[in-house]
Amino acid sequence: MPLEEHREQVPVLSFPRQTIVSLLVFAVCWEVLSHLSPYLGIPPFAVPSLVKIAQRMVVITPLDVAVTLARVIGALVVSFVLGLAAAMAMYRSKTLDDYLHPMIRILMAVPVVSWILFAVLWFPGVEFRIGFVLFVVCGPVFLVDTLDAMRNVPRELRQMMRSFRPTTLQFFLKLMLPAIVPTIFTSWKVNISLAIRVVTIAELVGAVTGIGHQLSVAQELFSVADVFAWTIVLVALLFLLEGAVARVEHRLLRWRA
Amino acid sequence: MKRPLPIEVRGLRKVFRQTTSGQSVVAIDRLDLTIAPKEVIAIVGQTGCGKSTFFDLMIGLEAPSEGAILIGGKSPYADFDAFRGKIATVFQQDRLLPWRTALDNARLPLELIGVPEAEQRERALAWLNRLGLSQFTSAYPHELSGGMRQRVAIARAFAVEPEILLADEAFGHLDEVTAAELRETFLTLARESGATAILITHQLEEAIAVGDRIAVFGQSAKLLADIHVAGWPQADYAALREAIQLTLQSQRPDPRLAAR
Repeated sequence: MPLEEHREQVPVLSFPRQTIVSLLVFAVCWEVLSHLSPYLGIPPFAVPSLVKIAQRMVVITPLDVAVTLARVIGALVVSFVLGLAAAMAMYRSKTLDDYLHPMIRILMAVPVVSWILFAVLWFPGVEFRIGFVLFVVCGPVFLVDTLDAMRNVPRELRQMMRSFRPTTLQFFLKLMLPAIVPTIFTSWKVNISLAIRVVTIAELVGAVTGIGHQLSVAQELFSVADVFAWTIVLVALLFLLEGAVARVEHRLLRWRA
Repeated sequence: MKRPLPIEVRGLRKVFRQTTSGQSVVAIDRLDLTIAPKEVIAIVGQTGCGKSTFFDLMIGLEAPSEGAILIGGKSPYADFDAFRGKIATVFQQDRLLPWRTALDNARLPLELIGVPEAEQRERALAWLNRLGLSQFTSAYPHELSGGMRQRVAIARAFAVEPEILLADEAFGHLDEVTAAELRETFLTLARESGATAILITHQLEEAIAVGDRIAVFGQSAKLLADIHVAGWPQADYAALREAIQLTLQSQRPDPRLAAR
């Protein structure tokens, strides 16, 4: 009885040659443009050289990075826990689903800017405002993704599980939760990207710390080099978080063929 | 080993309403059947005759529209939790959880009934060993062949030491050699365990090979014949097979079945 050949999964983090080449080409084009800008009628500050951007990156304040990171992770964890709990409740109760589903759709249709304005008008505390905006944007995504995943758990597996007469908690812990783990990871990756973008906008309004605040300061100082430096940090942060999630995913989903 | 319970099916009727047309479909129409403790009964019938509905009703996943199934005097539907650890099932497909190893799949029902972890492992390993899977306890389902996966499913059913074993077309999707081998193993284990076993199948050879009794279902699970296989010498199995086939085709009991 031989084991079927085990297929190795693709490495989680990789930097293919094409990626490096395309980044290098972009960097060279940018550098050339920064040197040619005076001759093209572009103000010199608009296209800073890579050296200048690198100089600004050296003075990046780690506290602002840490604050933004903490806001993103904190809000994502809260959004995930509450989104998953709501999804489980909606899966169990059709009545609850019938009432909540339209509200969720409305919430998801509201633009981020509107949420930021509501937050500014409703809440006095900056942290609460940012947390609120991140939660109303990311929470429904977690909810809808996990609810859909629960509904897509094969009927055959649900029937098998029910035939052994589990309690409601066992049914969720032993079947539904493990079955939706792949979707949960996908949802996390989508929401990390969403949260990084949203937190920056939220921090632009009223925050005195964080990357969004630093971007706002850079804009007031007409410092494109600073905007560039902070943007690179944001993108790096996004890749870092996605990479971390991908590593956990790789570890937890080893069972996948 | 637990004491097997008698099963009584009285005036069982199950009607489904079709979602699109709203029409009623009678899946089971007033079925009466008694199954003695420790009996191995095969239920045969053509596709769509209500066998699988009967299976769902036996497990307690569906409520009867009328009549009742009583196992030791209790309904598997109304007294759902009373049958925890007492009924185990083997389905047509293995229905293993893909994120669990063979061992973890086999011990799943033991986890659900709160068996201590060390005992779960011990019992699940013992059953996997008996089914020839001692080398593959840490393999995931996708690493196993179809026959091996079904063995894990059988180990999962037996691990809980049930009073009633239900198998729904459990070997129908396997190749003939593997199916025959697994059928034999299943039968041996079922007899050794002393559980009442109900095997639902559309394969007559399987029904004859496995059952002490064969219940032949017509349309809407009408009981066309209730055959005690012991009354048929092995030399007459070809005639028995032919008689069941004719019964199914004509939807009337063949005279040869009534004669014994």
